[in-house]
Amino acid sequence: MPTSALAATNLTKVIGDRTIVDDVSFELRAGEVFGFLGPNGAGKTTTIRMLVGLIRPTRGSIAICGFDIRREFEKAMACVGCIVENPDLYRFMTGRENLEHFARMTGTANGEITRVAELVNMAHRLDQRVGTYSLGMRQRLGIAQAMLGRPRVLILDEPANGLDPAGIREIRELLRTLAEEQGLAVFISSHLLAEVELTCDRVAIIHKGRILREGTVNELISSQRTLELRVGDPDRAAAILADRGIEFTRDDHGFLLPLDESDAPPIIAAMTSNNIEVFHAARRAHTLEEMFIEATGGETVG
Amino acid sequence: MISLIQNETIKILRRRRFMIVVGILFVIMTLVSYSQYRQLRESRNENWRAELQERIARYENRLRRGRMNESWSRSMKAEVRRMQFYLDRDINPEQPTAPLVVRSFANAAGFLLLPLLIGVLGSDIVSAENAEGTDKLLLTRPVRRWKILTSKLITLWMFATLTLLAGAILSYVVSAPVLPARGWDAPMFNGFQFTGETLKVDAVRELPLWKDALIAYGLEWYALLAVAAIALLLSVLFKSSAASIGTMLASLIGGTILTRISPDWTAGKYLFVSALPLAEYYSGQAPPYDGMSMGFCIALLGIWALAAITAAYTIFTRRDVFG
Repeated sequence: MPTSALAATNLTKVIGDRTIVDDVSFELRAGEVFGFLGPNGAGKTTTIRMLVGLIRPTRGSIAICGFDIRREFEKAMACVGCIVENPDLYRFMTGRENLEHFARMTGTANGEITRVAELVNMAHRLDQRVGTYSLGMRQRLGIAQAMLGRPRVLILDEPANGLDPAGIREIRELLRTLAEEQGLAVFISSHLLAEVELTCDRVAIIHKGRILREGTVNELISSQRTLELRVGDPDRAAAILADRGIEFTRDDHGFLLPLDESDAPPIIAAMTSNNIEVFHAARRAHTLEEMFIEATGGETVG
Repeated sequence: MISLIQNETIKILRRRRFMIVVGILFVIMTLVSYSQYRQLRESRNENWRAELQERIARYENRLRRGRMNESWSRSMKAEVRRMQFYLDRDINPEQPTAPLVVRSFANAAGFLLLPLLIGVLGSDIVSAENAEGTDKLLLTRPVRRWKILTSKLITLWMFATLTLLAGAILSYVVSAPVLPARGWDAPMFNGFQFTGETLKVDAVRELPLWKDALIAYGLEWYALLAVAAIALLLSVLFKSSAASIGTMLASLIGGTILTRISPDWTAGKYLFVSALPLAEYYSGQAPPYDGMSMGFCIALLGIWALAAITAAYTIFTRRDVFG
């Protein structure tokens, strides 16, 4: 098993009598993109703030590259680049001055600035004041800032925020490249489920401070099986299905059966032998969204 | 640490706060020199002695009539004794020169103007980062929080020093073209001591102006460092720059008014604003409360500064940073 780049163990944050994050544990491995999904107020941001040392957990511990962030804060943070919530940078300074500012804090050479700026396609706007940037450009500059000092873990809060579709795709490809080719561990939170589905290897779904599901995107999606069936005579087909003891639900177009693709041939054979036409029989491709709504009990994502 | 201080310095300069402070000082000093210049031209008459005597008489008259609160009458008595002293020595205390403007800047500005400017400069050094959201980046870099706060405190002290220097230099630069620019060795009298009703003249020291000015500026510098420390605490306490600057201004002005209005509330001598005009007290201006010796004032400011710094560090290094 690859080494763990970031390990959160039993993280809990209690404020007053409210438990905002409740016993959350997860692990991030080098070379993977990990998605953190949850509706508004689920505890996503509080968890991220605990990961980067802004908030002290009530219980539990965090280790980054093997360094405990309370005991060895400097060593742990030297391994991390992050954007927490909005990519807030100093608006009254230029992009370059901002990067120089944070490069000085990490003891990074100035040559790095050109490298990280080119990484996010910002080299041409670097000498303008950040106040004149669009949100998408600040997002890129934020990622450039996070890449200073060649971190091994990247923690990004809503990295797709404010980017146009082309920009989102560009960042997605950048994150994939960083994970696959440079072995970075990338942690992103997002409210764009499709984005997480395309970008992430593994996903954790957090709701009311607890992790409800965790697994690879494929595992989570394929944990539910549904067979779609569309036939010429739904009423008679329903009787046949009932005869065979198969649960089903009917929708506008036909039937949804809790079966795998391999269960389809005998059912199709039964239909055709009863002279019922079969137009369509296929495994339904679940989206993460359906799974998410099911897991959180139908709350909207935010 | 040096690169952290460099960062903070760049941020203060790029926020243009310091330029505004220097601009304000420039405008004020220009007005002061102009008024001094007018005074110089109008009072070129040779009967300053008569005028001084007249003023003494006027003050004594008012004192005799009474009907003023105790601290007022006390400072008026002190002023009378001081004027009498200059009269006896045949020195015109009113004749303005550029060095005198520089010297009196320490007194006049140290009482409210400079603390206010330092307050404005310092009160948002931490809170601005909160307000702009940049604290999230600043505090997630591999630098311990106490180091970040230390770099901010040192930078603030640097700018407090620069503000004082800028005030001194500006007051000379602006007044030298219109006023007599010499007279750095003019005699200055300090150490007037009041014990009850009598003026102890034997403790009076005669110092050349430059030496006297150095001492006054040194004291003022010390007071400003204390102000900066308190501004740092307010800046840590409040999330918005407006709230921290507002509180700083309110405590400076409110405290000053309080010490002037209710001199009978003796606990007021433990307020840091009571001890703030160190240069004025050094020059012989009576503090608003009894028992405020120079040593007391210096110690009081030191304790306030130390307490503010301790509180600022404790809060800053421990608190949770929410959005």
